[in-house]
Amino acid sequence: MGVIFPTPESLETYIHREECPRRLLAATDLPVADIFRYGGMVGSRIHAYTSLPRCMDQARELIKQQSGLHQSLPSGTMLFAESLSGSKGRFRRPWYAPDGGLWCVLTLFNQWSPQAARLLSLAAGVAVCETVRGLGLPAQIKWVNDICHNGLKLAGLLAETHVCPLSGEEYILLGIGLNVNNNAFPPELQNIATSLAKQTGHEFSIFDIGQDLLAKLAWNIGLLTWLDENDTSLSPFMDRYRDLCDSVGRTVCFGFDVQESPQYEAFVTGINDDGGLVLRHVQDDVELVEHGGEIIYAAK
Amino acid sequence: MSQHDTVNYEAVLSKFREDPFTYVDIHAMHTGQIRFHVHEGDQVEGLTGDFRHIKGTLLCELTRERNQKPIHCTTKGEVSFVNKDLDGKFVQAGEKIMTIRHPLKKREIIEQILRKVLVPFAAPEKAKYYFAMDIQSRIEKFGQRSVSVKAGDELFTMSLMKRDTPVFYAGESGLIHSVYFKQGQSMEQGEPLVGICPPEKIAVVEKVITRVKAEWE
Repeated sequence: MGVIFPTPESLETYIHREECPRRLLAATDLPVADIFRYGGMVGSRIHAYTSLPRCMDQARELIKQQSGLHQSLPSGTMLFAESLSGSKGRFRRPWYAPDGGLWCVLTLFNQWSPQAARLLSLAAGVAVCETVRGLGLPAQIKWVNDICHNGLKLAGLLAETHVCPLSGEEYILLGIGLNVNNNAFPPELQNIATSLAKQTGHEFSIFDIGQDLLAKLAWNIGLLTWLDENDTSLSPFMDRYRDLCDSVGRTVCFGFDVQESPQYEAFVTGINDDGGLVLRHVQDDVELVEHGGEIIYAAK
Repeated sequence: MSQHDTVNYEAVLSKFREDPFTYVDIHAMHTGQIRFHVHEGDQVEGLTGDFRHIKGTLLCELTRERNQKPIHCTTKGEVSFVNKDLDGKFVQAGEKIMTIRHPLKKREIIEQILRKVLVPFAAPEKAKYYFAMDIQSRIEKFGQRSVSVKAGDELFTMSLMKRDTPVFYAGESGLIHSVYFKQGQSMEQGEPLVGICPPEKIAVVEKVITRVKAEWE
């Protein structure tokens, strides 16, 4: 194995020394230590692989193996792979995952209310966006959770619910693909995707980025969990999401599978506290709120 | 014997012949002062547009603490009853305020009868749904009404905030007879997604459909 990935021990030290002080400075009205405790399961187990077909499939296999031993895969287990040979995006779109990128899946036991659980894919988006911004690139989130810079996609996220066929336990799998040092893209992705190295002209440490991403996931999932457990409004989390998302004010094409079947053109007027995208239909001039599907930005 | 076995189809058909309408009662969704915008006998429009995104006729407005809440019609038809005494007064949440009479089309009559026979499977959450890949490929290969499901089968994928969740069928085994959703359309929690027909009911279902098609103009 050529790449060194973070360990639970290195992550704990990093959160204590780096991430916690940063959050204390930024989030003065939130109980930072409590929130990190709520997110403490993130990265409590880390599995690293040289190559996998898909991280998602490996996560399912680990859940099944543990269940066969009458145990549960610990919530927060992270799987990293140096490369993926059979990765896929939504609607079975191909996802290119060679050496040099950060490819991982976070497995979470579903412990949230439905209202909070629906925001987990947004929490992962916020964590990835914060990680990229920490490297000096002013990346933004395109609703729901694409991470883009200069109109090009830096990272993609995939969220799936998995019910273990043996135990019936429900897990949420958050798949994250971040283009870091991988500079070459197949022709069909060249005008769509980019990487951190392409944007900055230099390479990055996968260890450092992986560790920072885990710390940001611990914070954002911890914040969502803390708000959920305390029956508090989820708006402190959504305010952060809205800060990072550049979809409001844009004219977009909306569709459930927008690449295959675009449905309508609309103007984005807001994002609700439940994550819903508020749109004004261009042709019919009526308001809609979408909680699923995806958007493509129209040219400015 | 299940409830479906006890349905008297002659009586049901006869009822629709006598009164081929459905009556939709409109209730106040919260307390407030009400102002009506329609009268008895008015024709009203329901939701329209490709995604049912264009609101129907404005029926009334509820005002509570200076916040106005418009109530739009969701069903095309005629206003058959308005509780006029309430106009300008304060109403309680849940109070019936008017009724819309909707003329049933042949297709709707068939659907209403079928809902007495078919086993509905409802949306667990407000979300978008699509058939699980295995079910979709069987539908494409054999046709919808040839695909059978049983409890525990992965029937749908529920898509909510870009998270896909498998939805497993729980109910009586049978064939997928009616599909009540379109891919990409948001379905409300509790709305039926499909109607499953137990194999022994297929014959009676086809008979009812044939009769309605033949007897209704």
